[in-house]
Amino acid sequence: MPYPFSKTALVPNLTLPKDAPLEKLKLGKGLMPFLQKNLYSAGKAELMHDLFSRQSPKQLRVGSIVTVLNDQAPNTFTGVLIAIRRRGPDSSITLRNILQRTGIEMQFFPNAPGVKEVKVIRPPPKGRMRRAKLYYLRDSPDKMSMLAGGKNK
Amino acid sequence: MFSLRVVCRHNSQNLTHLRLLSTTSTANANALTSNVGASSSKDRPEIPPSGDKWTPNSIRTGLIARKRGMIALWNDQGVRVPVTVLQLDNCQVTANVVTVRRDKSEYHAVQVAASDKPVKTTTKQMLGHFNKAGVPPKRIVKEFAVSADAHIPVGTELSAVHFVPGQFVDVIANSIGKGFQGGMKRWGFHGLAASHGVSVSHRSSGSTGQHQDPGRIFPGKKMAGRMGNERTTVQNLPVIRVDSELNLIFVKGAIPGVDDAHVLIRDAKKKMNCLSSHNQAKGLYEKVLPKGVDDLPFPAGTTELAKTLPPIIEAPSYRRSPFIPIE
Repeated sequence: MPYPFSKTALVPNLTLPKDAPLEKLKLGKGLMPFLQKNLYSAGKAELMHDLFSRQSPKQLRVGSIVTVLNDQAPNTFTGVLIAIRRRGPDSSITLRNILQRTGIEMQFFPNAPGVKEVKVIRPPPKGRMRRAKLYYLRDSPDKMSMLAGGKNK
Repeated sequence: MFSLRVVCRHNSQNLTHLRLLSTTSTANANALTSNVGASSSKDRPEIPPSGDKWTPNSIRTGLIARKRGMIALWNDQGVRVPVTVLQLDNCQVTANVVTVRRDKSEYHAVQVAASDKPVKTTTKQMLGHFNKAGVPPKRIVKEFAVSADAHIPVGTELSAVHFVPGQFVDVIANSIGKGFQGGMKRWGFHGLAASHGVSVSHRSSGSTGQHQDPGRIFPGKKMAGRMGNERTTVQNLPVIRVDSELNLIFVKGAIPGVDDAHVLIRDAKKKMNCLSSHNQAKGLYEKVLPKGVDDLPFPAGTTELAKTLPPIIEAPSYRRSPFIPIE
């Protein structure tokens, strides 16, 4: 169908899932959870489920060493995963590394079309850390280098 | 009584038959005219027929939507865009208003109502109003000032396609209530010092007046009190995406109010209405509408129009990609 009001507007060829409760959604019931489930960028839904779902065996865990391959600079970034922010399509991860004696933190949104791959280099020691957010690593570089150095105590 | 206000309805089936006053409103109108001494029915303003093409001097009606929450989208350049999801909830036209001002100029408006509500909880007065318009009872009824050519047949159901992705809108809503707050939070006062002998009153507002002369506090003095839950307008937000299937409008950025609150959306006064007429008068025809927007649905985007358009329409980015370094 043509769109007469804007020649440059994009018309994404998206269809609602067949089991979508259309009548309820039109009333706004369960609309935001529905959008959180279905508004992933093209081809990203599976990747996002793998990384962030607590049911997924491949889910990310804080304290692991992660490499992100990106379209834009920095094309690759490796660091300790210090935070996971779960927000559906808007979920993000925070990586921390020390480069040229300067602490660098990068936040990545794996749903962004520029992010190509999120690879786990090494899982956290003993499988998991005791905190959900490892912000304390900013103030204790020794523990940080221990994680990065791979001394799985 | 200096102005004469007549709420007229015109039948959505029969556009030519524009004035269809019920007996009661005629009686009211006569009462009003007898008050001001102008008794002839010729003075009664008529609802002008709506134009079928948008002009740079047209001002369209706004819509009533409900704020559903925020989410992020990525545009064609791969830039993250935080958006607020607004949903239309049975938004219908309930009346067209024409009022003649004291200086004989005319005020035109479209009355819009949204969110169906049970007949049981509707007052008799409002029920009569809705019955006259031929729409189910609604929770919220608001009026949008329009230009004379932008009247819409009563009963028309409005759709999210009213707005074109790439255009700008103003969003009006009540802000989130903060309760009773002190001067520091409510007005940005600095409070008293943290040390130097200050005790117990670090967040105090300080002095609120002088002495025996004037012996009172001047009205309007900024003090502690209820904060928030007041009408707030956010101007010039770009429309990113429109979904006519679920009647969603994705507007970039944050919007005042709690989730599920009613919000009013209209074409941006500054970045659309003012610029259109100004640039048209100056002959800058390519700047009459924002970049990428060729035309606007006129007099409004209805559900009938939505059926002829794609269900989801998205705005591309009209700016330079931030990921390409500047040479």
